[in-house]
Amino acid sequence: MLNLNLKTTPFHERTSALCQPQNWRKWAGYFVVGSYEHVLDREYWAIRNSAALIDVSPLIKYVIKGKDAAALLHRVTTRNVHKMKVGQVAYTGWCDEEGKMIDDGTISRLEDSTFRLTAAEPNLRWLTMNAVGMDVSITEVTDDVAALSFQGPNTRKVLNKVTEKPVDELKYFRLMTNKINGVDVTISRTGYTGDLGYEIWMDKKDALKVWDALMESGSDYGITPVGILAMDMARVEAGLFMLDVDYTSASHAWIESQKSSPFELGLDWTVALDKPGYFVGRRALEKEKREGSAWKMVGLAVDWVGMEKLFGKVGLPPQIPGSAIRGSLPVMVGGVHVGYASTSTWSPLLKTYIALAHLQKPYYEIGTDVTMEITVEHHRRQAPAKVVKLPFYEPEWKKK
Amino acid sequence: MSHYDNIIIGAGHNGLVAAAYLAKQGKKVLVLERRSIIGGSVVTESFGDNFSVDSLHTGGTLRPDIIKDLKLASYGLQPDSAPQPFITLLADGSPLTLDVESIKRISEKDAARFPEFVRFMNKAAQIMDVTYSTIMPRLPMNFGFKEGYGLLEWALELKLAGRKDMLNFIRALPMTAQELVEEYFESDIVKAAICAVAIHGSTLGPMGAGTGYTLIHSWMNRGGLAHKNVGKAGEITTALANAVKAFGGEIRTEAEVASIKIENQIAKGVVLINGEEISANQIFSAADPKHTLLKLVGAQDLPPEFVWHTQSIKMRGSVAKIHLQTNGNHGIPEGTLVVAPSIKYLEKAYDATKYGEVSEEPYLEVTTSGNTISIHFQFAPYALKSGDWKLEIKKVEELAINSLSEYFPNLRASISNLKSLSPLDLEQTYGLTEGDLNHGQLMLDQFLFMRPIPGWSNHKTPIDNLYLCGSGVHGGGGVSGAAGRNAAKSVR
Repeated sequence: MLNLNLKTTPFHERTSALCQPQNWRKWAGYFVVGSYEHVLDREYWAIRNSAALIDVSPLIKYVIKGKDAAALLHRVTTRNVHKMKVGQVAYTGWCDEEGKMIDDGTISRLEDSTFRLTAAEPNLRWLTMNAVGMDVSITEVTDDVAALSFQGPNTRKVLNKVTEKPVDELKYFRLMTNKINGVDVTISRTGYTGDLGYEIWMDKKDALKVWDALMESGSDYGITPVGILAMDMARVEAGLFMLDVDYTSASHAWIESQKSSPFELGLDWTVALDKPGYFVGRRALEKEKREGSAWKMVGLAVDWVGMEKLFGKVGLPPQIPGSAIRGSLPVMVGGVHVGYASTSTWSPLLKTYIALAHLQKPYYEIGTDVTMEITVEHHRRQAPAKVVKLPFYEPEWKKK
Repeated sequence: MSHYDNIIIGAGHNGLVAAAYLAKQGKKVLVLERRSIIGGSVVTESFGDNFSVDSLHTGGTLRPDIIKDLKLASYGLQPDSAPQPFITLLADGSPLTLDVESIKRISEKDAARFPEFVRFMNKAAQIMDVTYSTIMPRLPMNFGFKEGYGLLEWALELKLAGRKDMLNFIRALPMTAQELVEEYFESDIVKAAICAVAIHGSTLGPMGAGTGYTLIHSWMNRGGLAHKNVGKAGEITTALANAVKAFGGEIRTEAEVASIKIENQIAKGVVLINGEEISANQIFSAADPKHTLLKLVGAQDLPPEFVWHTQSIKMRGSVAKIHLQTNGNHGIPEGTLVVAPSIKYLEKAYDATKYGEVSEEPYLEVTTSGNTISIHFQFAPYALKSGDWKLEIKKVEELAINSLSEYFPNLRASISNLKSLSPLDLEQTYGLTEGDLNHGQLMLDQFLFMRPIPGWSNHKTPIDNLYLCGSGVHGGGGVSGAAGRNAAKSVR
């Protein structure tokens, strides 16, 4: 019989023992912990104040190897991959020929002709289609490579206690090979929280050894296993979007208007229009660059006083959501629809209700006053908000 | 570096037609041919003293409108030869010409039906001709008046054909040739002979869907069942070359294009195998789409979905040619003669290709021109299950001569010289990918707006200023020149 059960990650033995509320989430065919505790506060604050240990093994991963490995990624993605150095990591989106986003992830140049590409969804067919005539092998290693995201201001200190080589010199978006508890790992200075953080990649058989070593040496630094719900709040503060939540992949959008370009998602800095040669979507992206984008993803900061007024009318103080809301909320100017928020969350750190929103030209200019839908005692209301620059939060230690 | 308005890759009939139209408009045109002679697949070559034959396409004729537009009569093109008989062989070895009088010998009923069949086929060919005279819209994304005009014309032609013929034409396209002929005839020998024309040059059997279409296609190009101008294929391309030169165009032979130079998805020129670079405003490739796009351009410069579709173009050549020089005592009658004793025989001959095998009992088409004999052999699949074409071609020669000798016992003794061409020779000598005479099989998913691939039926490519003008695009397949003419007209 076809096995439709969700898979468990290589850390399941540890994570399942710690998950008090049995709050499990589906992620790319795996069970992962949504939250380890009944409320998210401690997990969220671990990301911002100490050291959060997050199992991100379900991330889809490909190893791309061979003489033309760089050429393939150069062709598929919008980055200038030929310029990447060994040990460099690059965040990128990739598009269809119409310049609309299919997926996004990171490219790690592990060796001169060996790369790891992460993705939110399966991309093997797309990569294979692009590799015609190339000397390259594409192998999915999602099940074989376990991954931990280790995020928060204390993570460097914790890692230095357990790694064979110190990580002090590891720069933002660079990676190194190292050993933890006698086990070979790759450590990249990357993450999905906008804080100081690392991602640790290892063979699945070594997963528990690495987990145990980190938990042991991190105990003095407030290391906390964190589920993906708290990470979801942190990533909105960091202005990071998510496939299928904040944008729809061009490969399964039903209609044209569901698709987004990298410019519309604020990824201008990842689109290397000056790179040599063809890459998928180049023509369309050049055109959009020339003519300007119809939409743009921006940050919205909802006005607290405005919320107070709306709730005050029914005799309540403002109600704030306990976790990130993955639902579309209309955004208006003068009662006219100008866009929508795709993820919104209360930011415990900023003490602000914030959202990632997609707004039409010209309303995406920073400082524009808009309104966003909130629900006040079962009634839909428009709360005043302002378009702000992303990210909402960027600590000085993020890149230092 | 020399510079031209237009470079045309390949001096076959379509390349030369495109070149002639462009040169006639006053463009500075250069045709580049990799062989030492022009003609491509429409060529008469000498393989020895008094051993001159149409190497691949037997005779043929260009569309009358092209002959007129380019004034080819004044550049040496002779009027069509007198109609030749189309002959099949009865079980006793005696020839049977497909005309009313002769068919009466076999079946009064079939003889009575024959004129109606010819009338319908002529009508169907006329309707088909309208589609080939126009550029197809890029369906399904560009269905508007601008691109749909050609289809409108076609729809009008269909309507003018009358309700019954219109319906029968539309029905005929996806039908099998067998089903189509069975609606007219009772005797297998007559049915099989007509089916032979349907599968000629295609890797399909008469029981294959879409052979109704290929029958109409061949009928249209040939102007009936039999070939015209046997032994004179080279006259067509020679006259075209004369016209190109008279209009001020240049033709260079032994000038093989190694690659098309591309900058930012725009074609800038070509690089020859000797490293010479020639630039041009527009490049037209009469080479097949797979060769043009995957070899001369290269997948790395093309969008992934386009590459995927291009890779999937079905080539699948399965034709071998055996040319014989004889002392004249071969006993084969003049005309177009087929060895096609039954529909099942043809289908079995085709079956072999599915397994990468040469047909042990092949379909043969034989044409004679004086003392020379040309045998068109099907099926000899390009992709052999085992063995290598350098050796396997000997087996094909033997099979062809043996099969024919059963009907013409004096044949073997009359042979003085032989030249055979395997599907591999078709690829290596004539540049036909996988030995496909038509630059892509004429199949229902590779015709009209789906030729060469869906969404790209307007001769354009994702590379600006690079156009396809060979048989692999709509209008192509066979000797007509429509593909070359339509391509030249598409850039006005």
